[in-house]
Amino acid sequence: MRKRVLCLMACVMLFAGALSAAPNTINIGILSAFTGVFSSFGEMQKEGAVLALEEVNYSIAGKKLNVIYADDQLDNEQAVTKAKQLVEQDKIDILTGLVSGDEGLTVGDFMKDKKIPVVPMYSASEDMTMREWYPYIVRATWTGAQPMDPFGYWLAKVKGFKKIYMIGEDYSYPYNQGGGFKRGFFRGGGVEVKTVWHPVPTSDYSSIIASIPLDQGYDAVMYNGSGGDAVAFVKQFVELGMHKKITLIGQSNTFEKPDLDSMPKEIVGSYSAMLTTDDLSTPAWVKFRDAFAKRWGHNPSTASEFAYDSMRMILRAIAKLKGDVSDKAAIVKAMLSVDMSDSPRGPIKLGQYNAIIENVYIRQIALAKDGSMYNKGLFTVKNTSQFGPYDPTLYLSQPADGRAYPPETASALPAEMKQVSKEYQFVPFGQ
Amino acid sequence: MKEAGKKGGRLLAGLLIVTAVALLPLYASPYTITTFIRIIYFGFLAMSVGLLVGQGGMISLTQTAFFGLTGYVVGLLGRERRLPFPVPELSGIAAVIVMATIFALVIMRTHKIVFLMITLALGQICWSFARQNTSLLHGWAGIRGIRPFPLVGIDFTQGSFFYWMSLALFLAGLLIMWRIVRSPFGLVLKGIRENPLRMRALGYPVYWVRVMVFVIAALYAGIGGILAVYATGIVTPTTMQLSRTIWILLVVILGGANYFWGPVVGTVIAVWLDVIISQVTPRYNTVIGVIFVAVVLLTPNGIMGLLDRTRHTFRAATARRRLEGGERE
Repeated sequence: MRKRVLCLMACVMLFAGALSAAPNTINIGILSAFTGVFSSFGEMQKEGAVLALEEVNYSIAGKKLNVIYADDQLDNEQAVTKAKQLVEQDKIDILTGLVSGDEGLTVGDFMKDKKIPVVPMYSASEDMTMREWYPYIVRATWTGAQPMDPFGYWLAKVKGFKKIYMIGEDYSYPYNQGGGFKRGFFRGGGVEVKTVWHPVPTSDYSSIIASIPLDQGYDAVMYNGSGGDAVAFVKQFVELGMHKKITLIGQSNTFEKPDLDSMPKEIVGSYSAMLTTDDLSTPAWVKFRDAFAKRWGHNPSTASEFAYDSMRMILRAIAKLKGDVSDKAAIVKAMLSVDMSDSPRGPIKLGQYNAIIENVYIRQIALAKDGSMYNKGLFTVKNTSQFGPYDPTLYLSQPADGRAYPPETASALPAEMKQVSKEYQFVPFGQ
Repeated sequence: MKEAGKKGGRLLAGLLIVTAVALLPLYASPYTITTFIRIIYFGFLAMSVGLLVGQGGMISLTQTAFFGLTGYVVGLLGRERRLPFPVPELSGIAAVIVMATIFALVIMRTHKIVFLMITLALGQICWSFARQNTSLLHGWAGIRGIRPFPLVGIDFTQGSFFYWMSLALFLAGLLIMWRIVRSPFGLVLKGIRENPLRMRALGYPVYWVRVMVFVIAALYAGIGGILAVYATGIVTPTTMQLSRTIWILLVVILGGANYFWGPVVGTVIAVWLDVIISQVTPRYNTVIGVIFVAVVLLTPNGIMGLLDRTRHTFRAATARRRLEGGERE
């Protein structure tokens, strides 16, 4: 008897998921790394997305929004399994989330024949909206190279840097960041970007830092990594006194808050480039920041802003369709046509390959009145695309960014990649 | 007479379970099928660990490396070189046999803690190699876009056909494992587990028996790896990372390492726990961890051990009652 009851319970549990899909709800799946190495990014994403959802009270055009969170622990096997669960059991109408580059490509590959819109929030691997793109992918955020190409160009052209020593994490996102950086740097007149890769995660950088050649005329050391690795690297860089001997610069995530709060004050003055900056003061940003701080008790990071914006784009698209999400291609079309000019980080619009065109901010670490560090905007580069200033066909004819491409010296970069018809305009920040 | 009846009853129960599982695609949701496919590929891996731990008394931390190895071979040859079936699959199996033999020749010279450490080291070497080799194995990113394909007119891209094929393989694997465990070879293996010195004194080639069982176990892991790579479509270093190795070891212990059905029961329960609890709470890893600890503390022989004990108690109680009844008469 008891066995039968147990069996019944198991069956109910098995099929409960399938039955929960009511006709008057829209199911949104958020697949991300809520535990594991990148859990802080997953959490920031969730906070941004929840804020956007609460603004509409989890309902649009009379339909209830049912949000399902799935945790992949940044394990690719788990990511595919959880994506299957969202599609097959929870019957999601839209998939979003995705924090890391390889995670995005993996899930993107799995979703290819599912005909369900995929909206990556923080995953920045450019191939998702380039070489491995398909029409159901809409990315309202960024690619790894997008902020780095203008940054490299600016350092070479305006600051006059010639040689950079780059230390990076050995996986796809830093490849893409480094790739954009090198292209911009060489185009602006830079000569060499020497590159050293280390496995993720690494906790002891003493040998890597000790082997930085101080006598070979490098203008700066660029740390091309983020999260816990960045905090450990920067701390040891300062502990070993290197900040007195050579300039430190970072990739887009290196000096992001809240990691920046754990770094030593000696790095004030370091440059980086990102799609937000801590001293944005546009009405849209202030409104978002205050609402976010009121809800969560701390200021938003870029990951939260990306999630907030992506979720708002999804919600506006659903509103435009009056809640009818049965035609998935129509959702994509609606997302591409909704007005996102009130985005907190500056006006954004979607272009070719459903990828974003937006502002890039060149920033410098500064001290706030309360003694904490923040990223201060220096210049704005408007309307930057994922292809930088290049023609998309030319860009795509080059190999994907990796360890071997782009090369380490300007002379080895193909000549057609060193001149473009229209270069960036660096508008002083705030204008 | 009574023994035969019991055997018949067991056979009937077995047939019922097999039928219910085989007809699953006809009545269950697609995600249930996906979960059962997952149970099957991790089941192969668990059988691999179970054979070594339960039957051979050797705790190996290398098995996930073979699981990943076939995945990488299928990805490299099938996906990237576009070689036709069954070249990538058979090459994967061949690679497993070669690597397992080489590993076994080294590690079977050791016992107990040294054995554990060496298998751990070899597993970690394979994982680090996959993670750091960017030219061939693409490092972190791994190989994507591996898909099942139609074969002899059957479209394996459809979940249910893929499931039936995996299930058939799994049943065949179980049958072969059953024969191995019950064979004289299996008895020798048990003898070696209990007392290797005495077995050597009796004239058994202890070293070679252990090498052979390691290769057989590696084959099971390898077959699981092939199914996994087609089911998930990707192979990455996380396939062989230490947390996966420890997890599968826990799964086998949860089911009951010393029982033939232990690894299978363990996989079924662990995978379903993962699916069900992760829907209820974001702290599911903690909950599953606590359940694992509780099971291991309460019944050191796993769930199969618990069932066994309950049955014994029940049988003893029945016997006592019958005895008491008899006295009254």
